Amino acid sequence: MSFVELVEGPLFTLAASIFVLGVLWRLIGIIRIGRTKDISPPKASAALGFFKGNLRHFFPRGIFAKRTALHIIAGYGFHFGLLILVLFAAPHIAFINDRLVSVALPEMPRWGFIVAAEVAFAGLIMLWVRRISDPVMRLISDWDDHIGTWLTFLVMLTGCLALQESHAFLRGFHMLFVDIWLIYFPFSRLMHAFTFFLSRGNTGATYGRKGMNL
Amino acid sequence: MMMRQSLALALVLFASLLLTDVSHAQTAAPTFDATATAAQALDDIMARQRGEVVLPRGNAPVAPEGGPLFGPQPGPPNSLGPQSQSDYWRGYRGGDPADIVAAVDSGQAMTTTGQQWRLLRENYIRKYAGWFPVGVIAILALFFLLRGRIRIVAGFSGNTIPRFTINQRVAHWFMAAVFSILALSGLIILLGRPVLLPLFGPQANSILTSAALQGHNLFGPIFILALAWLFVKFIRGNFFQIVDLKWILKLGGMLGGHVSSRQFNFGEKAWFWMVILIGILLSVTGVSLEFPWLFGDIRILQASTILHALGAIALISVSLGHIYIGTIGMEGSIDSMLKGEVDENWAKEHHDLWYEEVTGKPASEDAS
Repeated sequence: MSFVELVEGPLFTLAASIFVLGVLWRLIGIIRIGRTKDISPPKASAALGFFKGNLRHFFPRGIFAKRTALHIIAGYGFHFGLLILVLFAAPHIAFINDRLVSVALPEMPRWGFIVAAEVAFAGLIMLWVRRISDPVMRLISDWDDHIGTWLTFLVMLTGCLALQESHAFLRGFHMLFVDIWLIYFPFSRLMHAFTFFLSRGNTGATYGRKGMNL
Repeated sequence: MMMRQSLALALVLFASLLLTDVSHAQTAAPTFDATATAAQALDDIMARQRGEVVLPRGNAPVAPEGGPLFGPQPGPPNSLGPQSQSDYWRGYRGGDPADIVAAVDSGQAMTTTGQQWRLLRENYIRKYAGWFPVGVIAILALFFLLRGRIRIVAGFSGNTIPRFTINQRVAHWFMAAVFSILALSGLIILLGRPVLLPLFGPQANSILTSAALQGHNLFGPIFILALAWLFVKFIRGNFFQIVDLKWILKLGGMLGGHVSSRQFNFGEKAWFWMVILIGILLSVTGVSLEFPWLFGDIRILQASTILHALGAIALISVSLGHIYIGTIGMEGSIDSMLKGEVDENWAKEHHDLWYEEVTGKPASEDAS
């Protein structure tokens, strides 16, 4: 079995299984914890607060908009860029159809792929250098934050290095980092991709029930 | 001596690449002599040295009356026989670039400027470029051994003053990250064949070069963004002033004695403008190489590869000095870019005028 066959075959199956089971385990665990019972009479709908809390957090508060502009732009640039890359890049669609499930996702043109990758890279690098440049951010960051960022960066980088599609090794190298990333994901803060709506919703529900205007 | 001759030849080749005279072959009336002899050949050489135009003798192709010199010529194939075609090719070399490109596109001719470009790139740039960063590292290592780390003479005071804002620091590290990726991938592209190929073999070199090329092309546009951001965030305080003249005369204090400076000393200002100006050069030439159809003239692309490589090597080499003085070379420097603040004594010793401006206190009274 060659290196490429290993990382695209058994190792990928193992990594994807750990990813799915790990994410489910974490999500079910969080939901099972539940919320502390609030015995005060509700002044408004907690369910509505859950949705409003999620929506409201997509935009910065007016007084913080200028201070957090860099963070907001870099954050959205990175996340949307990455999402577009993962779902609409031609090699990814081919891989998903070949190995996972048959879906008719539209393929991005090559220039679209390049632009999305550049926006995602610029955003990710800005977010990380801000993390190390700001004393407060540096203080509240731990190894998990840095490993998660660097693993994501290496997955993206190795993917782009294989763009010429002239060497199977480069594709295998990319897949190796994908496998490591999938295994690391459920046990790290990368889980925020699935848990962000729960935490925002929880805050929104708590305040919404108290009748606060979010 | 050999080095000087090599550099001179390189300059001549490069100049000829850019300044090829297109007028001769296009405008002068052709002369033709069917009985070529050695004496005539000598006459031709002397005529050319006088600046006259001499077209090929014998059965070499000659422009028909009012027709083009280049392109399909009348006569049977291989009609030139074993005779020299130097004049013929010289005509191509001096020809209109548009004609040359058209001829290449239609499969009728090849450019001779490509040969000049190849010679310059292979025999000079690829051969010597890698030695500049290596030389800078050697000089810095020697300097560190002789001078040691530049300490804060009065020691850390424990009091700090703000030097760079968070946005300035992020702009700096953003550029540093992108530049590092581009420098590494660029060096692999430029020096892969002479350096990596003998070390790791053709397969590994091919993989590395393919990866480096994709990475370099992808991060190139991000460099332009980083450069613009760096310019906006650091332009203030980086204009040259009279005080910089004193810094130059004292070689930045290397000859001993104190050298006053404002927020940025001459060395820092020079580095800033190097980054901006060479950065613009790298951006323009990089864009021309990544989108070759924008310019159309192959000689612009050839010149772009040369200028891109020279600019990059200069920036990489000097950046090593910047990294050295910002980290192990000078005590307290790195704090300015990591924390945004510097120790007061560091500010008094290295940027006294800036210290006085920021704090309103005299630097000399407190400094030991």
